[in-house]
Amino acid sequence: MADLANLLPILWGGFCTTLAIFGLTLLFSIPLGLLVAVLKMSKYRVVRYPVSFYISVMRGTPLLLQIVAIYFGSYYLSEYSGIGLSFDRFPAVVAAFSINYAAYFAEIFRGGIQAIPKGQYEAASMLGLTKGQTFFRIILPQVVKQVVPASANEVITLVKDTSLAQVIAVTELFSLAKKQQAAYASIYPLFVAGVFYYVANLLLSCFFAYIEKKLNYYK
Amino acid sequence: MNAVLKVEHLKKSFGENHVLKDISFDLNQGEVLSIIGPSGSGKSTLLRCITQLETMDAGAVCVNGKNMIVGLDKKGNAKYAPPNVLREIRLSTGLVFQNFNLFPHLTVLQNLTIAPIRVLGMDREEARKRGRELLEQMGLASKEKAYPCELSGGQQQRVSIARALAMKPEILFFDEPTSALDPELTGEVLKIIKGLADKKMTMVIVTHEMAFARDVANKVIFMDQGVIVEQGSPDFVFNQSGNERLASFLSRFSQG
Repeated sequence: MADLANLLPILWGGFCTTLAIFGLTLLFSIPLGLLVAVLKMSKYRVVRYPVSFYISVMRGTPLLLQIVAIYFGSYYLSEYSGIGLSFDRFPAVVAAFSINYAAYFAEIFRGGIQAIPKGQYEAASMLGLTKGQTFFRIILPQVVKQVVPASANEVITLVKDTSLAQVIAVTELFSLAKKQQAAYASIYPLFVAGVFYYVANLLLSCFFAYIEKKLNYYK
Repeated sequence: MNAVLKVEHLKKSFGENHVLKDISFDLNQGEVLSIIGPSGSGKSTLLRCITQLETMDAGAVCVNGKNMIVGLDKKGNAKYAPPNVLREIRLSTGLVFQNFNLFPHLTVLQNLTIAPIRVLGMDREEARKRGRELLEQMGLASKEKAYPCELSGGQQQRVSIARALAMKPEILFFDEPTSALDPELTGEVLKIIKGLADKKMTMVIVTHEMAFARDVANKVIFMDQGVIVEQGSPDFVFNQSGNERLASFLSRFSQG
């Protein structure tokens, strides 16, 4: 049996990397997703079509492949053509996760924005509110309430998806657990890693339940 | 008499569907106009053109001496005045919607203060004070902290009237203000509108409440199929006009 006292500090180190990927991805993908959602609803086709294409690629190909593509793609691009920047492993992972999750968030946000009745825009416009004021003070607060359940789903999936970072050898929780599995010749470290993921998601679920309740002050 | 609202030869089509064919009327300061007519006659579209929620194809609208339309564009459609003029016109008009369209995430008082604060730049405290006065006038003094979903339909509609009044419009438009209400709740809303009429608020009211249309208005317009069929004093339109379409429309209501 592996020694838990030895195992925990090692896995904790990996978990911190996992949390960093998780936190940074949310930090970038949520605003980006909102922007993409707004662009996808643009009345101009030159804006709408590329955005639709981006979303379909992000949702239609494995995230694993996207991580590899960003890491090696950026490397070869800067190596051979001198343009662009080559990512280190960790930033490459964060970049790949951010643009991937932005696509999913964008679709959730778009659904939320489109669910707001037209009358809200008309009332705001009759009162003389500008488009910006209408979006940020009238529409967005209502969208937040709409999208919390679906976004919670994505966020919880993200916690688990971070394990994909191992494909370019970022030492997050799961890759370290696998190393320990080999070292101890036991699958026990993997289960311990599983507990880390589970507890993290349990806390997130509680957090989202709390937020949903908080937002329930109106129908 | 100074006409605060002047509509001339207004036309509006949705594709092949000519909703408004040639609408002209005017309204003086302090007067109340009721617009009646069967569903689909273009009443609401007319209101939405005047309040700039729809664009008209041709004609002219003049609010408070300001022209919304300044000529024709290359395609021969109505050419709108520059944005700053349209905005001035917009701010002198208020609209009460059939479905209230209150902001559900804001309290009753916040619904009343958001535009005065953000648009008119009114001081926060002053906006609240004024909001409270309006709520009191609407008989809703105790509801300022409530959210719209906690109110009855009649109360919500009264809040939405207060919200429109908070912007001190020159003309207040009502688009079937009681059509979404249970019959027992229409009275409280109509009473408020009647009170505004007594205070000489200039109003245009699209309604299916015939008795109310007759009692509140100085002037009544009967529309059918995109044209004004009859207009005049309430007494003329409801009692003296010999127009057949109007008579058959009104008879449906008196039987109802």
